[in-house]
Amino acid sequence: MAAAIETKGLTKDYRSPLKEPGLWGGVKSLFDRQYKDTRAVDGVSFQIEEGELVGFLGANGAGKTTTLKMLSGLLTPTAGSATALGHVPWKRESDFQRSISLVMGQRSQLWWEIPAYETFKLNQAIYGLSEADFREHLDELVELLDLGEHLSVPVKKLSLGQRMRAELAAALLHRPRLLLLDEPTIGLDVIMQKKVREFVKVYNKRYGATIMLTSHNMTDVVELCKRVIVIEKGRLLYDGPLDRLVERYADHKILRARFTTPVDPADLKILGAVIKYEDSTITLEVPRAQMAASAAALLRSYPVADLNVEEVAIDDIVRRLFTHG
Amino acid sequence: MKTYWVAYQIALQETLQRRSTLIMDRLGGFAVVVSLYSFWIALIGNKATFLGYTRAEMLTYVLALNILRSFVFTGRGWQLVGEISTGKISSYLVRPLSYQGYALALDLAQKTVHVAAAFFEVGLLALLVRGGLFLPSDPATWILFGVAVLLSSLLFFFLEFMVSSLAFWTSESGGPLFCFELFLQFAAGAFFPLDVLPLALRRALEATPFPYMVYFPVRIFLEKVSPVEALRILGMEALWLAAVYAAAMTVWRRGVRSYAAEGG
Repeated sequence: MAAAIETKGLTKDYRSPLKEPGLWGGVKSLFDRQYKDTRAVDGVSFQIEEGELVGFLGANGAGKTTTLKMLSGLLTPTAGSATALGHVPWKRESDFQRSISLVMGQRSQLWWEIPAYETFKLNQAIYGLSEADFREHLDELVELLDLGEHLSVPVKKLSLGQRMRAELAAALLHRPRLLLLDEPTIGLDVIMQKKVREFVKVYNKRYGATIMLTSHNMTDVVELCKRVIVIEKGRLLYDGPLDRLVERYADHKILRARFTTPVDPADLKILGAVIKYEDSTITLEVPRAQMAASAAALLRSYPVADLNVEEVAIDDIVRRLFTHG
Repeated sequence: MKTYWVAYQIALQETLQRRSTLIMDRLGGFAVVVSLYSFWIALIGNKATFLGYTRAEMLTYVLALNILRSFVFTGRGWQLVGEISTGKISSYLVRPLSYQGYALALDLAQKTVHVAAAFFEVGLLALLVRGGLFLPSDPATWILFGVAVLLSSLLFFFLEFMVSSLAFWTSESGGPLFCFELFLQFAAGAFFPLDVLPLALRRALEATPFPYMVYFPVRIFLEKVSPVEALRILGMEALWLAAVYAAAMTVWRRGVRSYAAEGG
């Protein structure tokens, strides 16, 4: 299978004018403007195959959105190269633009005062869809996104969840082969999040579309993506299966035990790091290698009523990645 | 082409949807016309002409202003400034779409509504003053005037587009746009005929594209210029339009490039 996206050493510096405080500073900067370069993306290389659904993770300001903007052609990189669907994105060739879509959860392309349907008609014209294709695509999107009667209501009267789904429909009407989703579930309630997630999954499966998705919501990533790319301070930190991220970065597991009679948690320190002790139940963080020994010791020396061993939750791992770098 | 036609229809719908904004706009414009009218009538007093304008001509100038303001000076500059500074422009830049064509279609929709309203208002005023208007009898004058106004509105569109595009570089491009539009209306003759100004200043302004937007077209309408002179004015206007178009496109392209380089 051909690569849908390929980047090599992709780098982006932002130039921002340095502003001195005060009126005089403003006048001075008119004539002698100083700039500061900030590296937002730093030599990132990866490859995504056609039809893959990849999670793109990183803390705020890690460079996720900047990367998506380069891949959609909005930004030109400072260095490095990228191709998407065989095109150099920032050349903004019409063929390329017809095959992609960029959805930013916090930005809207819908016309505010009039029903979403009108924006769809505009996109039909922009992307040159025949009436038959338009009908077919629209009917499917309406059904998948459960849009129904919302299409005839002015956009400003829609709830955030309804609007986000209408936004997705507008972005997918031309059936892009490459979909870049930036925080598609931001601000939505749990039920809406689930709907959007299910939709993304179906869209990926049904049309074999390549999807790259950023999200702060770990549930999105866990439910949708087998593969994740993690960046931190613009650098690629991890690229691989989600499961392996767990093995690689979670060097410990969680051991939880309930006792029949209270024990002194201080005595349990030698078995692992005590996270919590409450209602005669202890939660310990135990290094992987030491797990069997700790569990055995616990069973041997304490009145254990119940015991279980768990993997660390993914969001904990990612949080750890972001805080420790 | 279909894209722009659909965009025009949608924008028309939206303009009509925002009835209260539309009504406010019209009331504001109408107030300007009425005050200009009263002002000139007071100045003319019992004189037969004032600054070379008869009463009927001055009244026509003022009423024509209302229509020209609606056709020439209704732009979307503020929207472009807003779309650039909020980053909404991105959603156009990733779609296979010419932003100028799109903006022009939206602009035309707004003009359609405003011109219709302006004709209604002018009709009302004309009834109130019971005729007393100067209407050229030569159909050629109407044609020349029509062409002039068409060019004017394109000239304004690209001038405004150019100034609004400065938002790509500065976060405060609302300021320049505001100053520019105020100066433009003055220099175009949208507050008073430029004959009011000292000759030197008038000559200086005539060397800019601004008087081609209101002053010259109205002079053509009032048959204050010979047909040959009218054709020369149209020629100059076309040259200005070409120059402003080229400049606006250059600024826009550079703006988009800088937006792509610096991020939005």
